[in-house]
Amino acid sequence: MKFFNNGMKTPCGEIHIVKDRCKGCGFCVTYCPMDVLELSDEFNTKGYHFPEVKNPENCINCGLCEMLCPDFAIWSTLKEEKEVIEVLT
Amino acid sequence: MIENIEGTHPIDSLLREGSIPFVWCPGCGIGTVVNTFVETLEKVKIDLGKVCVSSGIGCTGKVADYLKINCCNESHDNAIKCAVKFKLENPETKVVVFLNDADFIASGADDFIEAGKKGVELLVIYINNFIYIISECKVTPTTPFVRTLDDENLELPFNIPHLAKLCGARYVARWTTLHVRRLMYSITDALENPGLAVIEVISPCLMYYATDGKIGETIDRMRFFHNNTVIKHGEPTENLDIRLQDKIIMGRFVDK
Ligand code: SF4
Ligand code: SF4
Ligand code: SF4
Repeated sequence: MKFFNNGMKTPCGEIHIVKDRCKGCGFCVTYCPMDVLELSDEFNTKGYHFPEVKNPENCINCGLCEMLCPDFAIWSTLKEEKEVIEVLT
Repeated sequence: MIENIEGTHPIDSLLREGSIPFVWCPGCGIGTVVNTFVETLEKVKIDLGKVCVSSGIGCTGKVADYLKINCCNESHDNAIKCAVKFKLENPETKVVVFLNDADFIASGADDFIEAGKKGVELLVIYINNFIYIISECKVTPTTPFVRTLDDENLELPFNIPHLAKLCGARYVARWTTLHVRRLMYSITDALENPGLAVIEVISPCLMYYATDGKIGETIDRMRFFHNNTVIKHGEPTENLDIRLQDKIIMGRFVDK
């Protein structure tokens, strides 16, 4: 097995959620490609289950949750860029 | 990280104060389309003073109320007419019209055909929710294959991309609310197009249409899009009837 770094960097995102805007549709949770989010057991002030961050280190700042959300309740910002280490077997 | 602060979303600056919460039902596609449109405007760095938005009636009619962008609404159900008038008076401005079944194909069809004939530069984003919500859930000229609360549809639905092409549209595309990234690229292309551009976004109404068991609510509707759509760029527009094939064909059909 070889490890090498080809100089590419992968972005790391940070998720922000305004929980009282959320209407609990679950699009962000279902379509996040990295399985970062989950629906909370708690209710917000409107009575919907809002999303929570389950695996914060997985987020790649792709912005899909931000674009799918119909209520402008979730967005991601770039936190840092990590160097990619590819594993060849 | 959970925050609870209003007004911190990066594109809140493009929404009017007090517009959130939106009036739309949880998971309605109109919100997703507005979100994608606003993100596209941010991304292409267009001069917002040169953009004008118009919308008509019904649920889609609220779009122009919520956006903090110039707006040329005049009155009930003549969105295209206002937009054409505004465009002819202000040729520098990019006019974007958000339409639904009623003011695009039912009462606004003559205005649309005239706009195509004149070759006016407009971007029409047509949100096809398959039903008249305010007029007691009646079928529309685009309702395909199932019954609604009051009516059964015995007619063939309109093939919107074909009509748009025949009217002289220079950019025609169709997407669903699941394909937001492709919709974003389409809006970017259409904003640059110097003619009439029509983008149809399929977004069945969650409350009155999609609940019949075939499409399903919120997340089931997204799964329906996932399983029942196929992307074919450049498909001849006469094949794009929603009723006649088992999969809904999407893509960019005309670009010239
Ligand atoms: S930005 Fe992408 S990876 Fe991060 S939570 Fe949203 S959808 Fe998931
Ligand atoms: S997409 Fe938006 S409204 Fe839907 S669950 Fe996620 S944060 Fe809430
Ligand atoms: S009634 Fe239908 S189209 Fe109108 S907001 Fe609700 S789901 Fe959307």
